[in-house]
Amino acid sequence: MRKKVLLRSILALSIPIYFLGGCHKRIQDTSEKGELSLIANGEDFIKEGFVAKDGWRVDFTKVNVTVDKITAYQTDPPFNAEKDEKMVISAKTVLLDAPTTVNLAADNRILVARVEASPGFYNALSWQMATAGPAENNTILLAGKAEKHRRKINFAIALKKPVQYTCGEFVGEDRKGFLTPRDKADLEITFHFDHLFGDGEKSPDDKINLTALGFAPFANLAENGAIKADMTTLKNKFSAREYQKLERSLTSLGHVGEGHCAKQGNF
Amino acid sequence: MKKTNFVLISLIILPILTWSTKIHAHGSKINYRETKAIEIQATYDDGTPMANAQIVIYAPNNRNIPWMKAQTDAEGKFTFIPNEEIDGNWDVKVRQSGHGDIISIPVSDRENLQTQIITSNFEYNPMQKLVMTVASVWGFVGTALFFSRRKS
Repeated sequence: MRKKVLLRSILALSIPIYFLGGCHKRIQDTSEKGELSLIANGEDFIKEGFVAKDGWRVDFTKVNVTVDKITAYQTDPPFNAEKDEKMVISAKTVLLDAPTTVNLAADNRILVARVEASPGFYNALSWQMATAGPAENNTILLAGKAEKHRRKINFAIALKKPVQYTCGEFVGEDRKGFLTPRDKADLEITFHFDHLFGDGEKSPDDKINLTALGFAPFANLAENGAIKADMTTLKNKFSAREYQKLERSLTSLGHVGEGHCAKQGNF
Repeated sequence: MKKTNFVLISLIILPILTWSTKIHAHGSKINYRETKAIEIQATYDDGTPMANAQIVIYAPNNRNIPWMKAQTDAEGKFTFIPNEEIDGNWDVKVRQSGHGDIISIPVSDRENLQTQIITSNFEYNPMQKLVMTVASVWGFVGTALFFSRRKS
Protein backbone atom coordinates (compact mmCIF):
# COMPACT_ATOMS: atom_id res chain seq x y z
CA MET A 1 0.00 0.00 0.00
CA ARG A 2 2.77 2.39 0.97
CA LYS A 3 4.43 1.61 -2.35
CA LYS A 4 1.24 2.62 -4.16
CA VAL A 5 1.04 5.89 -2.25
CA LEU A 6 4.68 6.57 -2.99
CA LEU A 7 4.25 5.76 -6.68
CA ARG A 8 1.21 8.00 -7.03
CA SER A 9 2.96 10.81 -5.17
CA ILE A 10 5.93 10.59 -7.51
CA LEU A 11 3.65 10.60 -10.56
CA ALA A 12 1.72 13.57 -9.21
CA LEU A 13 4.94 15.44 -8.49
CA SER A 14 6.48 14.70 -11.84
CA ILE A 15 3.92 16.90 -13.65
CA PRO A 16 4.74 20.21 -11.87
CA ILE A 17 8.44 19.36 -11.86
CA TYR A 18 8.29 18.91 -15.64
CA PHE A 19 6.70 22.32 -16.10
CA LEU A 20 8.97 24.00 -13.60
CA GLY A 21 11.93 22.51 -15.45
CA GLY A 22 10.57 23.86 -18.70
CA CYS A 23 10.22 27.36 -17.24
CA HIS A 24 13.73 27.19 -15.89
CA LYS A 25 15.05 26.24 -19.29
CA ARG A 26 13.25 29.19 -20.90
CA ILE A 27 14.76 31.59 -18.36
CA GLN A 28 18.20 30.19 -19.15
CA ASP A 29 17.62 30.73 -22.86
CA THR A 30 16.88 34.42 -22.43
CA SER A 31 20.06 34.89 -20.42
CA GLU A 32 22.22 33.33 -23.13
CA LYS A 33 24.57 35.75 -24.79
CA GLY A 34 24.99 36.94 -28.33
CA GLU A 35 27.84 38.52 -30.25
CA LEU A 36 28.11 42.30 -30.40
CA SER A 37 30.53 43.92 -32.85
CA LEU A 38 31.74 47.46 -33.22
CA ILE A 39 32.45 48.82 -36.68
CA ALA A 40 34.37 51.99 -37.54
CA ASN A 41 33.29 53.75 -40.71
CA GLY A 42 35.03 56.64 -42.48
CA GLU A 43 32.34 56.73 -45.15
CA ASP A 44 32.97 57.21 -48.87
CA PHE A 45 34.88 60.44 -48.17
CA ILE A 46 37.78 58.40 -46.90
CA LYS A 47 37.47 55.26 -48.98
CA GLU A 48 36.88 56.93 -52.35
CA GLY A 49 38.37 60.38 -51.80
CA PHE A 50 36.57 63.66 -52.30
CA VAL A 51 36.82 67.29 -53.37
CA ALA A 52 37.28 69.61 -50.40
CA LYS A 53 35.37 72.89 -50.11
CA ASP A 54 38.32 74.79 -51.66
CA GLY A 55 38.60 72.60 -54.74
CA TRP A 56 41.42 70.30 -53.62
CA ARG A 57 40.90 66.71 -54.70
CA VAL A 58 42.00 64.58 -51.72
CA ASP A 59 42.72 60.84 -51.78
CA PHE A 60 43.90 58.87 -48.80
CA THR A 61 46.28 55.95 -48.54
CA LYS A 62 46.04 55.87 -44.76
CA VAL A 63 43.64 57.32 -42.19
CA ASN A 64 44.71 55.90 -38.87
CA VAL A 65 42.36 56.70 -36.02
CA THR A 66 42.90 55.55 -32.46
CA VAL A 67 39.86 54.74 -30.36
CA ASP A 68 39.57 53.59 -26.77
CA LYS A 69 37.17 52.88 -23.87
CA ILE A 70 34.15 51.91 -25.95
CA THR A 71 31.04 50.82 -24.06
CA ALA A 72 27.59 49.99 -25.43
CA TYR A 73 24.53 50.68 -23.28
CA GLN A 74 20.91 49.68 -23.09
CA THR A 75 19.10 52.81 -21.96
CA ASP A 76 15.49 53.46 -21.02
CA PRO A 77 14.30 56.07 -21.71
CA PRO A 78 16.44 56.07 -24.86
CA PHE A 79 19.44 58.35 -24.37
CA ASN A 80 19.32 61.52 -26.46
CA ALA A 81 22.81 62.98 -26.91
CA GLU A 82 21.46 66.34 -28.02
CA LYS A 83 19.70 66.93 -24.73
CA ASP A 84 21.58 67.63 -21.56
CA GLU A 85 20.29 64.54 -19.82
CA LYS A 86 21.72 61.73 -17.75
CA MET A 87 21.89 58.29 -19.30
CA VAL A 88 19.58 55.79 -17.54
CA ILE A 89 21.36 52.47 -18.04
CA SER A 90 19.72 49.06 -17.71
CA ALA A 91 22.66 47.06 -19.07
CA LYS A 92 26.07 47.72 -20.54
CA THR A 93 28.82 45.88 -22.39
CA VAL A 94 32.45 46.94 -22.63
CA LEU A 95 33.52 46.59 -26.24
CA LEU A 96 37.06 47.94 -25.98
CA ASP A 97 39.22 48.92 -23.03
CA ALA A 98 42.61 49.57 -24.62
CA PRO A 99 43.73 52.01 -27.30
CA THR A 100 43.25 50.51 -30.74
CA THR A 101 44.26 52.03 -34.05
CA VAL A 102 42.28 51.32 -37.21
CA ASN A 103 42.90 52.42 -40.81
CA LEU A 104 39.64 53.87 -42.10
CA ALA A 105 41.02 54.01 -45.65
CA ALA A 106 41.22 50.21 -45.76
CA ASP A 107 37.46 49.69 -46.00
CA ASN A 108 34.12 51.31 -45.27
CA ARG A 109 33.47 48.96 -42.38
CA ILE A 110 36.44 48.25 -40.13
CA LEU A 111 35.93 45.77 -37.31
CA VAL A 112 37.16 47.34 -34.07
CA ALA A 113 35.87 44.86 -31.50
CA ARG A 114 33.73 41.76 -31.17
CA VAL A 115 32.56 40.55 -27.76
CA GLU A 116 29.96 38.34 -26.11
CA ALA A 117 27.11 40.45 -24.79
CA SER A 118 23.80 40.08 -23.01
CA PRO A 119 20.77 40.29 -25.29
CA GLY A 120 18.83 43.53 -25.57
CA PHE A 121 18.66 46.75 -27.51
CA TYR A 122 21.94 48.67 -27.36
CA ASN A 123 20.79 52.21 -28.06
CA ALA A 124 23.68 54.27 -26.67
CA LEU A 125 27.46 54.26 -26.93
CA SER A 126 30.36 56.01 -25.27
CA TRP A 127 33.85 56.07 -26.77
CA GLN A 128 37.04 58.02 -27.00
CA MET A 129 39.20 59.26 -29.81
CA ALA A 130 42.49 58.83 -28.02
CA THR A 131 46.24 58.72 -28.45
CA ALA A 132 47.70 55.32 -29.23
CA GLY A 133 49.84 55.29 -26.12
CA PRO A 134 52.48 57.33 -24.32
CA ALA A 135 54.89 57.02 -27.25
CA GLU A 136 52.37 58.15 -29.86
CA ASN A 137 51.57 61.79 -30.13
CA ASN A 138 48.51 61.70 -32.34
CA THR A 139 44.91 60.56 -32.46
CA ILE A 140 44.62 60.71 -36.25
CA LEU A 141 47.25 60.17 -38.92
CA LEU A 142 46.27 61.26 -42.44
CA ALA A 143 48.40 60.21 -45.42
CA GLY A 144 47.70 60.50 -49.12
CA LYS A 145 47.85 62.88 -52.03
CA ALA A 146 46.00 66.03 -53.00
CA GLU A 147 45.68 67.76 -56.34
CA LYS A 148 44.36 71.08 -57.60
CA HIS A 149 45.02 72.77 -60.94
CA ARG A 150 47.77 70.21 -61.71
CA ARG A 151 49.55 70.98 -58.45
CA LYS A 152 50.16 67.72 -56.64
CA ILE A 153 51.00 67.31 -52.97
CA ASN A 154 51.79 64.27 -50.88
CA PHE A 155 50.79 64.68 -47.28
CA ALA A 156 51.35 63.05 -43.90
CA ILE A 157 49.52 64.93 -41.18
CA ALA A 158 49.46 63.83 -37.53
CA LEU A 159 46.57 65.32 -35.58
CA LYS A 160 46.11 65.19 -31.83
CA LYS A 161 42.74 65.95 -30.36
CA PRO A 162 41.48 63.47 -27.72
CA VAL A 163 37.70 63.60 -27.46
CA GLN A 164 35.19 61.75 -25.29
CA TYR A 165 31.94 61.02 -27.16
CA THR A 166 28.61 60.01 -25.66
CA CYS A 167 26.07 59.02 -28.29
CA GLY A 168 22.50 57.83 -28.57
CA GLU A 169 21.18 55.32 -31.05
CA PHE A 170 22.82 54.79 -34.44
CA VAL A 171 20.88 56.67 -37.12
CA GLY A 172 21.03 55.30 -40.66
CA GLU A 173 19.13 53.31 -43.24
CA ASP A 174 18.65 50.41 -40.84
CA ARG A 175 18.51 50.29 -37.06
CA LYS A 176 21.41 48.71 -35.22
CA GLY A 177 22.00 47.26 -31.78
CA PHE A 178 19.20 44.67 -31.44
CA LEU A 179 20.91 41.61 -29.98
CA THR A 180 19.01 38.35 -29.42
CA PRO A 181 20.42 35.25 -27.68
CA ARG A 182 22.94 33.29 -29.77
CA ASP A 183 22.67 35.88 -32.53
CA LYS A 184 24.84 38.73 -33.82
CA ALA A 185 24.40 42.51 -33.90
CA ASP A 186 26.66 45.42 -34.62
CA LEU A 187 27.08 49.05 -33.68
CA GLU A 188 28.99 51.72 -35.55
CA ILE A 189 31.14 54.73 -34.87
CA THR A 190 31.24 57.01 -37.89
CA PHE A 191 33.80 59.65 -38.79
CA HIS A 192 32.58 62.65 -40.79
CA PHE A 193 35.68 64.07 -42.41
CA ASP A 194 33.61 66.59 -44.35
CA HIS A 195 33.49 68.42 -41.02
CA LEU A 196 37.24 68.96 -41.38
CA PHE A 197 37.68 69.51 -45.11
CA GLY A 198 34.24 70.67 -46.23
CA ASP A 199 32.41 69.38 -49.28
CA GLY A 200 33.13 70.73 -52.76
CA GLU A 201 29.84 69.34 -54.00
CA LYS A 202 27.91 71.66 -51.72
CA SER A 203 27.38 75.38 -51.88
CA PRO A 204 30.07 77.58 -50.30
CA ASP A 205 27.25 78.92 -48.13
CA ASP A 206 26.33 75.49 -46.85
CA LYS A 207 26.90 75.30 -43.12
CA ILE A 208 29.35 72.44 -43.49
CA ASN A 209 31.56 74.63 -45.69
CA LEU A 210 31.23 77.66 -43.45
CA THR A 211 32.48 75.74 -40.41
CA ALA A 212 35.01 73.33 -41.99
CA LEU A 213 38.69 74.21 -42.26
CA GLY A 214 39.22 72.92 -45.81
CA PHE A 215 42.44 71.59 -47.31
CA ALA A 216 43.97 74.87 -48.50
CA PRO A 217 45.52 75.79 -45.10
CA PHE A 218 47.38 72.45 -45.17
CA ALA A 219 48.40 72.93 -48.83
CA ASN A 220 49.93 76.27 -47.91
CA LEU A 221 52.44 74.42 -45.72
CA ALA A 222 53.75 72.23 -48.56
CA GLU A 223 57.45 72.25 -49.35
CA ASN A 224 58.81 70.47 -52.42
CA GLY A 225 55.40 68.97 -53.09
CA ALA A 226 54.99 67.47 -49.65
CA ILE A 227 53.34 68.26 -46.33
CA LYS A 228 54.67 66.72 -43.15
CA ALA A 229 53.04 68.25 -40.11
CA ASP A 230 51.90 67.57 -36.57
CA MET A 231 49.83 69.65 -34.16
CA THR A 232 52.82 71.66 -33.01
CA THR A 233 53.66 72.60 -36.61
CA LEU A 234 50.05 73.45 -37.34
CA LYS A 235 49.71 75.56 -34.22
CA ASN A 236 52.82 77.52 -35.19
CA LYS A 237 51.98 77.99 -38.87
CA PHE A 238 48.18 78.26 -38.95
CA SER A 239 46.51 81.55 -38.12
CA ALA A 240 44.72 81.58 -34.77
CA ARG A 241 41.38 81.35 -36.59
CA GLU A 242 42.51 78.40 -38.71
CA TYR A 243 43.83 76.53 -35.69
CA GLN A 244 40.60 77.17 -33.81
CA LYS A 245 38.63 75.81 -36.78
CA LEU A 246 40.92 72.79 -36.90
CA GLU A 247 40.34 71.97 -33.24
CA ARG A 248 36.59 72.48 -33.54
CA SER A 249 36.41 70.35 -36.71
CA LEU A 250 38.37 67.51 -35.13
CA THR A 251 36.08 67.50 -32.12
CA SER A 252 33.01 67.16 -34.36
CA LEU A 253 34.28 64.16 -36.37
CA GLY A 254 32.69 61.45 -34.23
CA HIS A 255 29.12 60.28 -34.89
CA VAL A 256 26.98 57.16 -34.79
CA GLY A 257 25.81 56.99 -38.40
CA GLU A 258 23.99 60.28 -38.86
CA GLY A 259 23.35 60.53 -35.14
CA HIS A 260 25.23 63.19 -33.23
CA CYS A 261 27.18 62.69 -30.03
CA ALA A 262 27.79 64.81 -26.96
CA LYS A 263 31.47 65.77 -26.91
CA GLN A 264 33.99 66.47 -24.25
CA GLY A 265 37.37 67.59 -25.57
CA ASN A 266 40.73 67.12 -23.84
CA PHE A 267 39.15 64.83 -21.26
CA MET B 1 26.27 60.25 -45.39
CA LYS B 2 27.57 63.76 -44.94
CA LYS B 3 26.04 65.88 -42.28
CA THR B 4 26.43 69.17 -40.62
CA ASN B 5 23.42 70.37 -38.78
CA PHE B 6 21.61 69.01 -35.84
CA VAL B 7 18.12 67.81 -36.47
CA LEU B 8 15.44 68.90 -34.12
CA ILE B 9 12.24 66.99 -33.88
CA SER B 10 9.38 68.42 -31.89
CA LEU B 11 6.15 66.72 -31.13
CA ILE B 12 2.59 67.80 -30.66
CA ILE B 13 -0.06 65.34 -29.62
CA LEU B 14 -3.24 66.40 -31.35
CA PRO B 15 -6.80 65.36 -30.63
CA ILE B 16 -8.26 64.29 -33.96
CA LEU B 17 -11.93 63.89 -34.70
CA THR B 18 -12.34 61.11 -37.19
CA TRP B 19 -15.62 61.37 -39.07
CA SER B 20 -17.48 58.74 -40.94
CA THR B 21 -20.78 59.39 -42.66
CA LYS B 22 -23.56 57.04 -43.62
CA ILE B 23 -26.25 58.20 -46.02
CA HIS B 24 -29.66 56.57 -45.76
CA ALA B 25 -32.66 56.94 -48.07
CA HIS B 26 -34.39 59.49 -45.89
CA GLY B 27 -31.82 61.10 -43.69
CA SER B 28 -28.27 60.79 -42.63
CA LYS B 29 -26.21 59.40 -39.82
CA ILE B 30 -22.93 60.83 -38.72
CA ASN B 31 -20.52 59.00 -36.47
CA TYR B 32 -17.31 60.27 -35.00
CA ARG B 33 -14.51 58.92 -32.97
CA GLU B 34 -12.01 60.97 -31.00
CA THR B 35 -8.46 59.76 -31.06
CA LYS B 36 -4.98 61.16 -30.61
CA ALA B 37 -2.48 61.93 -33.33
CA ILE B 38 1.20 62.80 -33.09
CA GLU B 39 2.57 65.63 -35.14
CA ILE B 40 6.27 65.60 -35.95
CA GLN B 41 8.07 68.86 -36.68
CA ALA B 42 11.58 68.30 -38.05
CA THR B 43 13.99 71.20 -38.44
CA TYR B 44 17.71 71.76 -38.73
CA ASP B 45 19.40 73.45 -35.82
CA ASP B 46 19.07 76.85 -37.53
CA GLY B 47 15.29 76.40 -37.64
CA THR B 48 15.04 75.51 -41.34
CA PRO B 49 12.27 72.93 -41.83
CA MET B 50 13.36 69.50 -43.10
CA ALA B 51 10.99 69.61 -46.06
CA ASN B 52 10.16 66.31 -47.80
CA ALA B 53 12.42 64.41 -45.40
CA GLN B 54 12.17 60.64 -45.05
CA ILE B 55 10.10 59.51 -42.06
CA VAL B 56 10.32 55.97 -40.70
CA ILE B 57 8.09 54.96 -37.78
CA TYR B 58 8.69 51.86 -35.64
CA ALA B 59 5.94 50.41 -33.44
CA PRO B 60 6.80 49.32 -29.87
CA ASN B 61 6.06 45.67 -30.59
CA ASN B 62 8.54 45.45 -33.46
CA ARG B 63 11.23 48.08 -33.14
CA ASN B 64 13.40 46.64 -35.88
CA ILE B 65 10.89 46.66 -38.75
CA PRO B 66 9.33 49.90 -40.03
CA TRP B 67 5.64 50.27 -39.18
CA MET B 68 5.25 53.12 -41.63
CA LYS B 69 7.38 55.07 -44.12
CA ALA B 70 6.38 58.55 -45.21
CA GLN B 71 7.67 62.07 -45.91
CA THR B 72 7.41 65.36 -44.13
CA ASP B 73 5.56 68.20 -45.86
CA ALA B 74 7.07 71.49 -47.01
CA GLU B 75 7.11 72.72 -43.39
CA GLY B 76 8.90 69.62 -42.13
CA LYS B 77 5.72 68.31 -40.53
CA PHE B 78 4.13 64.90 -40.49
CA THR B 79 1.15 63.61 -38.52
CA PHE B 80 0.35 60.02 -37.70
CA ILE B 81 -2.07 58.14 -35.47
CA PRO B 82 -0.42 55.30 -33.52
CA ASN B 83 -2.24 51.98 -33.41
CA GLU B 84 -4.33 52.19 -30.23
CA GLU B 85 -3.73 48.54 -29.49
CA ILE B 86 0.04 48.95 -29.23
CA ASP B 87 1.24 50.77 -26.13
CA GLY B 88 4.85 51.69 -25.54
CA ASN B 89 7.57 53.74 -27.16
CA TRP B 90 6.90 54.66 -30.78
CA ASP B 91 10.22 55.48 -32.44
CA VAL B 92 10.31 58.06 -35.23
CA LYS B 93 13.36 58.47 -37.47
CA VAL B 94 13.76 61.50 -39.73
CA ARG B 95 16.51 61.63 -42.38
CA GLN B 96 17.47 63.95 -45.18
CA SER B 97 20.69 64.29 -47.17
CA GLY B 98 22.85 62.72 -44.51
CA HIS B 99 21.19 64.48 -41.60
CA GLY B 100 19.17 62.35 -39.26
CA ASP B 101 17.72 61.87 -35.83
CA ILE B 102 15.54 59.38 -34.04
CA ILE B 103 13.23 60.01 -31.10
CA SER B 104 11.16 57.79 -28.88
CA ILE B 105 7.60 58.82 -28.08
CA PRO B 106 5.91 57.07 -25.14
CA VAL B 107 2.29 56.32 -26.02
CA SER B 108 -0.06 54.79 -23.51
CA ASP B 109 -3.78 55.42 -23.27
CA ARG B 110 -4.62 52.22 -21.50
CA GLU B 111 -2.85 52.41 -18.19
CA ASN B 112 -4.91 49.64 -16.62
CA LEU B 113 -3.99 47.18 -19.34
CA GLN B 114 -0.35 48.18 -19.09
CA THR B 115 -0.39 47.49 -15.38
CA GLN B 116 -1.87 44.10 -16.09
CA ILE B 117 0.87 43.26 -18.54
CA ILE B 118 3.57 44.27 -16.09
CA THR B 119 1.95 42.12 -13.42
CA SER B 120 1.97 39.10 -15.72
CA ASN B 121 5.71 39.50 -16.12
CA PHE B 122 6.28 39.64 -12.38
CA GLU B 123 9.01 37.28 -11.19
CA TYR B 124 8.69 35.58 -7.78
CA ASN B 125 11.53 35.77 -5.29
CA PRO B 126 13.22 32.55 -4.00
CA MET B 127 11.24 32.49 -0.71
CA GLN B 128 7.94 32.83 -2.56
CA LYS B 129 8.99 30.05 -4.92
CA LEU B 130 9.90 27.79 -1.95
CA VAL B 131 6.56 28.37 -0.22
CA MET B 132 4.69 27.72 -3.47
CA THR B 133 6.66 24.53 -4.12
CA VAL B 134 6.07 23.17 -0.58
CA ALA B 135 2.37 23.98 -0.85
CA SER B 136 2.16 22.27 -4.22
CA VAL B 137 4.00 19.16 -3.00
CA TRP B 138 1.75 18.93 0.04
CA GLY B 139 -1.29 19.27 -2.22
CA PHE B 140 -0.22 16.45 -4.51
CA VAL B 141 0.79 14.15 -1.65
CA GLY B 142 -2.53 14.86 0.04
CA THR B 143 -4.41 14.08 -3.17
CA ALA B 144 -2.49 10.84 -3.59
CA LEU B 145 -3.22 9.84 0.03
CA PHE B 146 -6.90 10.64 -0.46
CA PHE B 147 -7.24 8.30 -3.43
CA SER B 148 -5.12 5.62 -1.72
CA ARG B 149 -7.16 5.53 1.51
CA ARG B 150 -8.60 2.20 2.63
CA LYS B 151 -12.29 1.72 2.06
CA SER B 152 -14.08 1.38 5.35
